[in-house]
Amino acid sequence: MAALGARRLLQPGRRWFSETVPGTPSPPISPLYPPVVASVTAKSKAAKLRRLQRFKQRVHAAATVEEKLRLYGKLQRPKYMVYPQTFALNADRWYRSFTKTVFLPGMPPRAAAAKPPVAAAGTTPEAGRAPGPGAEALGAAGAPEAVKTPGAAAGAVPYLGMGELRSLACDALLQESFYQNKKRPFLYRDQDHTPGPFLTQLVSTLAAFLSGRNPLLAASSLDLNPEVNYYWHHGEEVVVHGHRKGRVDPVRFQIDDNPHLQIRVPKQLPEVVPLESDLGDVPVIDHKPSKLPLFKKQYENKVFIGSKVADPCCYGHTQFHLLPDKLKRERFIRERLEDQIEVVYRSNGIASLFAWTAAQAMYQGFWSEADVTRPFVSQAVVTDGKYFAFFCYQLNTLALTAETIKNNPRKNICWGTDSKPLYDVVEDGNVKGFNDEVLLQLVRFLLNRPKEL
Amino acid sequence: YPLFQRGGPQLRIFRPNFFMLAVRPGVPQPEDTVQFRVSMEMTKLDVRNYLERIYNVPVAAVRTRIQYGANNKRNHRNQRVKKPDYKVAYVQLGQGQTFQFPNLFPEKEQDTETRSFDDFRDKYMEKEKQKQEGDPRRGGVPDWFGL
Repeated sequence: MAALGARRLLQPGRRWFSETVPGTPSPPISPLYPPVVASVTAKSKAAKLRRLQRFKQRVHAAATVEEKLRLYGKLQRPKYMVYPQTFALNADRWYRSFTKTVFLPGMPPRAAAAKPPVAAAGTTPEAGRAPGPGAEALGAAGAPEAVKTPGAAAGAVPYLGMGELRSLACDALLQESFYQNKKRPFLYRDQDHTPGPFLTQLVSTLAAFLSGRNPLLAASSLDLNPEVNYYWHHGEEVVVHGHRKGRVDPVRFQIDDNPHLQIRVPKQLPEVVPLESDLGDVPVIDHKPSKLPLFKKQYENKVFIGSKVADPCCYGHTQFHLLPDKLKRERFIRERLEDQIEVVYRSNGIASLFAWTAAQAMYQGFWSEADVTRPFVSQAVVTDGKYFAFFCYQLNTLALTAETIKNNPRKNICWGTDSKPLYDVVEDGNVKGFNDEVLLQLVRFLLNRPKEL
Repeated sequence: YPLFQRGGPQLRIFRPNFFMLAVRPGVPQPEDTVQFRVSMEMTKLDVRNYLERIYNVPVAAVRTRIQYGANNKRNHRNQRVKKPDYKVAYVQLGQGQTFQFPNLFPEKEQDTETRSFDDFRDKYMEKEKQKQEGDPRRGGVPDWFGL
């Protein structure tokens, strides 16, 4: 009898010895024990991962950008010094692999609406201002520019006269090289003697002339000989000598650059192509960077755009680089290394612009673990006084460390032209063979601005 | 070398007593880089002129370093024996040329006779070894051990 009763009680789904009714959820209890995680101080891989995680959390949770930069570059270790102006052979290929940059020859196609039309004989102003493909505006501007400002054709925006711009450029050139009485330049100081002052004069006068047309230039900040620094990790290597021998370390790089001139603006330049576009391939080089040759040193890990974080002009517009005497064209021609001339321009453009755009992104709080959400665009002109090469860089990703690069399809993009001469010779107070396209491209660079303005 | 002063004669060496030895790099080098062991008195200019004038090799860049030979080994009289120092030159070739150090000891093709002889020899050695070992069921214990 008792057994029958017991069987009735022991029906499936019923626990006769406890009071809880099955099926209802138990009320949430706070965990009795702390979470089981790896130790912080142990000599194990899990502990190392936990320490890395704590460091990343500290950087993510930093209150100000200065604090973030301080924590990011706190640990000093030997790192490769990357020089933008280098005589190393095929340096631009190596630099592209360090910075995950795709290089595209020529200038990016830009909407014509951003540029005011330049006077050209016979073409209507509307054609220049229609928001069509950039080729239209380029075609309109590339037409023979011997004409000065035509009269008031239709269109509210006053035209730029090629004659005025040309006279500005020729004045600066003649003043520096012909009118001014200068002694012979000291040995290996040719660039500081004439091309340096000419470039400063040209850019300042052009910027002042065009600031009426481009309100961004009016609010910009023009710096002479500023410093641009950036520090980053890319790839991994095994430590060879020393007390840390055998450990796997990230490969550290630092760029310390001193452009001749820098224009910084308070508003960012618009993106050229969407963030996730894939326009080419990044070269992959298996060898160690020291084969370039690149040398290691340990010093301060600096990230700097040209001014401190509190500066309102925290976005970059254009930089101007002057090539030193060591990298003159004549020297390359004498050593029968003609193909390396363009490599010098390209490596300077890629390295300097990567450092500048990446430092700008870090000033906004992005870093390799917190990748950029909008592309950063900057421009640069690399020159040796006579030959000008133009570069435009779009930074799409900062995540170049060994772990973050694995699932990162984004690549940085650099557009660049070959070097073209601005003039042929300066003789007897005349500039012979002035090239208008180079000046036009320079003016276009200076007039570049976001669409709202 | 005699010191050069402005206006003086250009130093010319017609039959140099230098020798350059192309070596296999210890660490992988880029494709356009060739590694040489050169005489300690040679300079970068010497290396460049040597290769360009005598062997017509286009040279884009030369970098040199001196390798110190260690002095740690001791002979039977406990005197230190020094390995000689030598200079290493890394030459980057011009005009897009590349160089790969050849494999000087390739594996020789074995014909059927040598192959079958090698197989026979391996099998014989295996049988001999098996005879030496005892019963595998005893787990390595020698056969004189037991009750």
